[in-house]
Amino acid sequence: MATPFLVARDIAKAFGGTQALKGVSLDIAPGEIHGLVGANGAGKSTFIRILAGLNHPDAGRLELDGHSQQIGTPQRATELGMSFIHQELAFVPGMTVLQNIMLGVPKKTRFGLTDWRAIARDVAPIARRVGISAPLNAGVKGLSTAEIWLINICRALVRKARLIVMDEPTASLAASEAERLFAIVRDLSASGVAVLYISHRLDEILSLCTRVTVFRDGRSVAELAGDTLNRPALVEAIVGGAIRDPQRTATTRQRGDVVMDARTLARAPNVRGVSLQLHAGEVLGIGGLVGAGRTELARLLFGAERPDSGEMTLMGRPYAPASPAAAVRAGLGLVPEERRAEALFLSKSIAFNLGIANLDKIALGRYLPLMNRRARTSMAGETIRSLSIKARSASTPVGRLSGGNQQKVAIGRWLQRAPKVLILDEPTRGVDIGARAEIHRLIRQQADSGMAVLVISSEPDELPDLCDRVLVMAEGRVVRELTGQAVSRKAIVEASYVEPEALMEDHPA
Amino acid sequence: MSDVAISARRLSPGAKAALGIFARYGTIIGLLAMIVTFSILSPGAFPTLGNFTNVLNQASLAMIIAGGLTLAVVVGELDLSIGFAASLHGILITGLVVHDKLPIPLAVVIVIALGAVIGLVNGFIVTKVKVNSVIATLGVGTILTGLAFAYSAGVPIVAGVPEAFLQLSLGRWLFGIPNNIIVMILVLGGLWLLVERTPLGQEIQAVGGNAVAARLAGVNVDRIKILGFVISGMCAALTGILLASRLGSGTASAADSYLLTAFAAVFLGSATLRDGEFHVLGTLVGALIIAFGFNGLNIFGAPTFSQYVLQGAILIIAVGMASLGRSLAER
Repeated sequence: MATPFLVARDIAKAFGGTQALKGVSLDIAPGEIHGLVGANGAGKSTFIRILAGLNHPDAGRLELDGHSQQIGTPQRATELGMSFIHQELAFVPGMTVLQNIMLGVPKKTRFGLTDWRAIARDVAPIARRVGISAPLNAGVKGLSTAEIWLINICRALVRKARLIVMDEPTASLAASEAERLFAIVRDLSASGVAVLYISHRLDEILSLCTRVTVFRDGRSVAELAGDTLNRPALVEAIVGGAIRDPQRTATTRQRGDVVMDARTLARAPNVRGVSLQLHAGEVLGIGGLVGAGRTELARLLFGAERPDSGEMTLMGRPYAPASPAAAVRAGLGLVPEERRAEALFLSKSIAFNLGIANLDKIALGRYLPLMNRRARTSMAGETIRSLSIKARSASTPVGRLSGGNQQKVAIGRWLQRAPKVLILDEPTRGVDIGARAEIHRLIRQQADSGMAVLVISSEPDELPDLCDRVLVMAEGRVVRELTGQAVSRKAIVEASYVEPEALMEDHPA
Repeated sequence: MSDVAISARRLSPGAKAALGIFARYGTIIGLLAMIVTFSILSPGAFPTLGNFTNVLNQASLAMIIAGGLTLAVVVGELDLSIGFAASLHGILITGLVVHDKLPIPLAVVIVIALGAVIGLVNGFIVTKVKVNSVIATLGVGTILTGLAFAYSAGVPIVAGVPEAFLQLSLGRWLFGIPNNIIVMILVLGGLWLLVERTPLGQEIQAVGGNAVAARLAGVNVDRIKILGFVISGMCAALTGILLASRLGSGTASAADSYLLTAFAAVFLGSATLRDGEFHVLGTLVGALIIAFGFNGLNIFGAPTFSQYVLQGAILIIAVGMASLGRSLAER
């Protein structure tokens, strides 16, 4: 093998008292697609931040092109030929495609002014190569996440990056968009640009990567390639012990009466007439592609948005929540898609985050508007134990927890209320395999105890594992209902890609 | 934040821990250091009960208005109307007492209610009309200044202020503690209790921490924001009343400068004990730093302009050190 582009040896890093990295090593050859996997909290993000010059390692060595380097700043990382595409994509909504591509890149000038025409000439072939279909002078407003990804890749290439680090690239892409991204990644690799590919989706890792490094508990525990690179080996290395795959036991559950009934709910442009019935004691899945209107539907049910038309009943009574507060009072709970932005108070304690939806339970008395802090702490302790949230104490800030434990806090908040309806939007996104199994078990427990649970997921494997029944949405409508043994990954994916004409026939307005 | 090009030297864990502590306790250490320094330099005049009482008494009005402002910033908004509002309140209460001969308690209630109404208007414009709070409260504050001039016709009310009104601020109560201090302790104590120890306070903190998440957790975000403005408005009214009583007159711009002092105290407070969060106790510490700083300069006969220089410099240094300390400690 040629001289590696990047060599990292025994990198260690502590934050406060927490040893985030205890010693990780990996090397990446030019043009290699190198996979990086590991449970949440294994140290992947910290490692990337060190490469990007955002954190500085306490110990260890970094070499680029055979020379030992200290990456002091993000600028230095760029100079050394590394580009980073984070989950939260960097782009400026008010700018054009070209301006976004050139963000932070030194630009050609003419008479002291930025020479956009010359820049466009240079960039156009690169944009074509990565498949940006929007014109360079178009605004980025309204572009899909996939296209914003391409803009970020294009920016990396304009900077002549030799290594592009991609953090969970397909987390918010639809399957077809993901395929396009894979083709581009392979093309990059063929032209000598290395890619460090970080993902929880093992199928992608297996099909794309030639070598995979596994992090666990702040150490690089395995490097798999060739014959040793397969799914069981990866899972084994990630988890570090045996883990049972959840069986599809969901079909046997008894379902109860209709709890929630929605008729032809619509809100332009994303929800275009959705009817559904949710029963007590069932886990109802909503499948479909990103942008099919599932999150928007959840927001309508939860009162975060008002429908243009349609009606709902809850426990047989008319239900038209004016706000999430009204929905919560009526007996709903929502675990939103973006837990850090929409669910959690990161700088606040676990007790605070759990208590905020249960303030009536932590008041000293109805006429004494003081908080019973002991009740709050003991309630938090109870939730921490019953959901096995890994944290030092109830006063640990939620921002310090791993993704899976954060998600348990977001879910646990509602369980104290025993809501009639619990809606979970992408409950295991960015969560490691172990936590995912636990969250699934938790969701099924709630349904067993009589709660009506609605789960939205873009991960094709998740719904068959979890749900008694699945509705597949496309273009703002329910296009198929799957029950019993018909609930399968294949059926969900097929239904997601219904032709628009078929849509009209299935659901005449 | 972290890409500020501070030199990339590595810090030892010990140095990091020290920086973390400094970021949180720096303002308190600074306050104590200032008191100790002044006490050594001027052992006769500075460290006396009389002087400390005097400093607190002087600072109480700023502390009350800053305490109110804390509630507005805790819910994630700014209230720039408070100084102008306090001026209007001052001239209004003087007018109500002197010209309209209203009983003092009634006049006080009316003015504080007006403060609440101003807060409601601010809150309504920000949450329902969705105007940025800087613009909304600046606009409202400017209107209030106009009203203050209209009410007084530009002439200060100085004659005929009854002794009982002056006693509001100049009087002493329990063990001879000045009324201002007692009111300040009650107000700040009440606000602290509200924010830190009530279920409503949890909602207030949630809205400030992450308004989107608060809404989806079932908190009525608009109501909480309006509450923040209302409390800010009521505290401004209280400060306006006490200031008019202390000055024995009402002028249309008497309390304008409290805006800057209150903001300085609140932001100094955000650098105290908690990492960049606003809180009532922090505001109290912030106001104390400013008050003792001014007092020390006075005792040493420093010219007036130096007080403004000091206030601005302390604010930037304290908040800057805290935020630098945090980001270095996290690298």
